[in-house]
Formats: sequence, structure tokens, C-alpha cells
Amino acid sequence: MKYILKLNYSFLLVLLSVLGQAQEVKKVDSIKPKTERYGLRLGVDLFKLSRTFTEKDYRGLELVGDFKLTRKHYLAAEIGNENKTVDDARLNFTTKGTYIKAGFDYNAYQNWLGMHNMIYVGLRYGVSTFSQTLNTFSVYNPHPYFGASPTLVSGDKYDGLSAQWIEVVAGVKAEIVQNLYVGFSLRLNNLITNKTPENFDNLYIPGFNRTYGGKFGAGFNYTISYFVPIFKTTLKPKESEAKKK
Amino acid sequence: MKKIVLLLVVVFSFLGCEKDDICDANTPTTPRLVIEFYDNNAPLATTKAVTKLKAVADGMNGVGVVFNTTATDDSKYLSNDKKIYLPLRAGVDEFSTTYSLTLNSGVVGSENTDKVTFTYSHYNVFVSRACGYKTLFDLTNTNTNILTADSNNWIKDISINKANLESENEVHIKIKL
Repeated sequence: MKYILKLNYSFLLVLLSVLGQAQEVKKVDSIKPKTERYGLRLGVDLFKLSRTFTEKDYRGLELVGDFKLTRKHYLAAEIGNENKTVDDARLNFTTKGTYIKAGFDYNAYQNWLGMHNMIYVGLRYGVSTFSQTLNTFSVYNPHPYFGASPTLVSGDKYDGLSAQWIEVVAGVKAEIVQNLYVGFSLRLNNLITNKTPENFDNLYIPGFNRTYGGKFGAGFNYTISYFVPIFKTTLKPKESEAKKK
Repeated sequence: MKKIVLLLVVVFSFLGCEKDDICDANTPTTPRLVIEFYDNNAPLATTKAVTKLKAVADGMNGVGVVFNTTATDDSKYLSNDKKIYLPLRAGVDEFSTTYSLTLNSGVVGSENTDKVTFTYSHYNVFVSRACGYKTLFDLTNTNTNILTADSNNWIKDISINKANLESENEVHIKIKL
């Protein structure tokens, strides 16, 4: 009996010391854990929107969006529709079509926590389907013995045209008020495929903009967008930092 | 801020490019009819230069095709070459052009005018943004119905060398004199 009491006593002692140790580990950190917000940023291209109202030969809308994948990487896409009439010296044509560009952005800007400002570069793959209508044209005649060639009315419509291209993007996005961002980006395009009509050419491609005879193209947009937070993650201190403590 | 200004400069330099493309003179556009002259007396095909040839299309009130762009007087309408280039009418409903070809034009006593009529169909082919379209022709003549026979033709023989006119780097009609 004496021995059993002794055993109980020592057992209790061990238990208490274990409990005490456990209590020491449970100390609460007084600094709140860091959280990172993730979400969808949706916006519209103001440049195309304003041209729709100021230019009578242009109607266009482009919606833009990006989604934060990691602290530096964003999924990004633009979707749009354009209806543009080009009046050149010898040609007048109307291009109508829809396009989508998808890719990613890499943010090179070191943000304060919770902010999503960007100075970024990115890549897009663009696809456009469209139609072209040749309204009027004139025949080039360098020897006008019989008088200059008149402008001829055509009205020929070329349907089912398409183009695909790669786009290199560089731009900025800055928060002006809580969750509202303005940004602009510059784009250089390189055509991959271009299905052209017989006896005419794709002189304008929705999303790609004007073509220059070769594969090269350029564009830019000026956007206003709203950040919709979807979820938060708690940032864990990095392994190396934890070891130092 | 400097980066933004730089980007804006780049953007506006691109916008400035819109309107300033012009059709390069070396681009093949609407071709003229190319006629080459041959010596009728030579046993082998030998090119021969014409003398003071003037070409006037019907309905042009005697105004000839300019052959010599550097001359300022009436000699600009005269060709002393082995090859001449004649524009063809290409209106929507125009499918023939008649030319009066006058040899030794202006030389009293030796002027000789022959009439040739070219009939053809034509169609428009896209060239480029700057050049627009060009008109190409398909001659529908036969060798025997080009020349209007008269009592003293200086054209001894006329034949179609290439019936589809695509450029001016080819000979479409051969005339022997």
C-alpha cells in the first residue's frame, strides 16, 4: 500500500510537469496573423467606351478581369466586341467581331499587405472571329489617260474570318479608392494565324487592331476596375524566419 | 511617373502612323497593254524600233498617250521605241478600247494610221491598303480581229503573245512592221 501511494505520487508529479510544459507552448501571440486577400478584379476599357460615344465610325466594348493566383501571378483575360468602319484613301470597310484574350500577368511591384497595385508584364493568347464588309474601293491607276478611276461601291461581305495572335502586355494598375483601380496597358501583338478573305485582306482585326501588312500589331487600353474579394488566407511566417527565433 | 510619360509617348507615336501610307510606285498595279515591235523582213524574230509613233484612243479628241514624260512639247506623244504601253479602258461597262496608231506622225507625206481594237473582260484584284485594287484584263480578241484592214497597213502582222494581262513585265501583243 505504501508503495502504491508513492507510485501514485510520482505519477502525478510527472503528469503535472507535462501539463505545465504544455501550457508554456500555448502562449498566445499578441500580433494579429497576416492575411492576404484573393479575389476577382473586374473592369472595363474606358478608351473603347469613350470612342464609342465620340467616334461615329466606332462601337466597341472591352471587359477586363484578373484573378490573383499567387502573390506575384495573376490570371488575366479580356473579352470584347468591336464594330469599326475604316475610311482609307482607296478603301472603306467595316469590321465586326468578337475577341477573347487570356493569359497571365506577372506583378513586379512590391505591395504593402492587402494592396493589389501592379506594375506588370504579361502574355495573352488572343482569338478573334469577325466579318468584313467592303463598302467602297477605288482601283489604283498610275496612268490616268482615261481619267482618274472612280470610287466603286462594293458591299461585298466576307463572313467567317478569324485570327489568333500572341500579345505581350506591359502596364500599371493603381488603387484610387478602396477596391477601385485604374490602369492602362500597352500591347504588342504578333499574328499566329489569319484567315483572310479571297480578294481582300484583314486590314483590321477586332482586339488585334490595325494590321500592318506583316504579323505585327499594337494596342493599348485604359481601364477602371473593381476588386471583389473572395477569400483570405493567413500568411505563415517563412521557415527560415521561424528558425531564427 | 517618368515611365508613364514614356509609355504615353510610345502610344501616341503609334497613333501617328495611321494615315501616312502611300502606294509604292514599284508595286504592280493596273497594267497597261504592252506591245512589242518586230521586223517583218528579218527571218528570225528581231525587235525593231518604230519612228514617231503616236497612239490616240477613240473618244480622246486626238490627245495621244504620253510616251516621253520628260519632253514638254508635242514630242511627248511620240515613241521611237521597240515597246509601247497602252492604257485600256476599265470602266464598269467598258470592254474594248480602239487605238489609232500613227507611224511617222507629223511627217508630211509619210504619215500612216492603222486602227487596232482590243476587246477584253476585266476584273479587280486586291493589292494592299495603300494601293487599293488593281484591274487585270483577259483579251478576248483573236489574232485576226484586232487590226482594221485598210489599203495601206503599216502593221504587217499582229498577234497575241499573252492574253491575260497581269503585269507590265510581259509582252501581250507582237506587231510586225
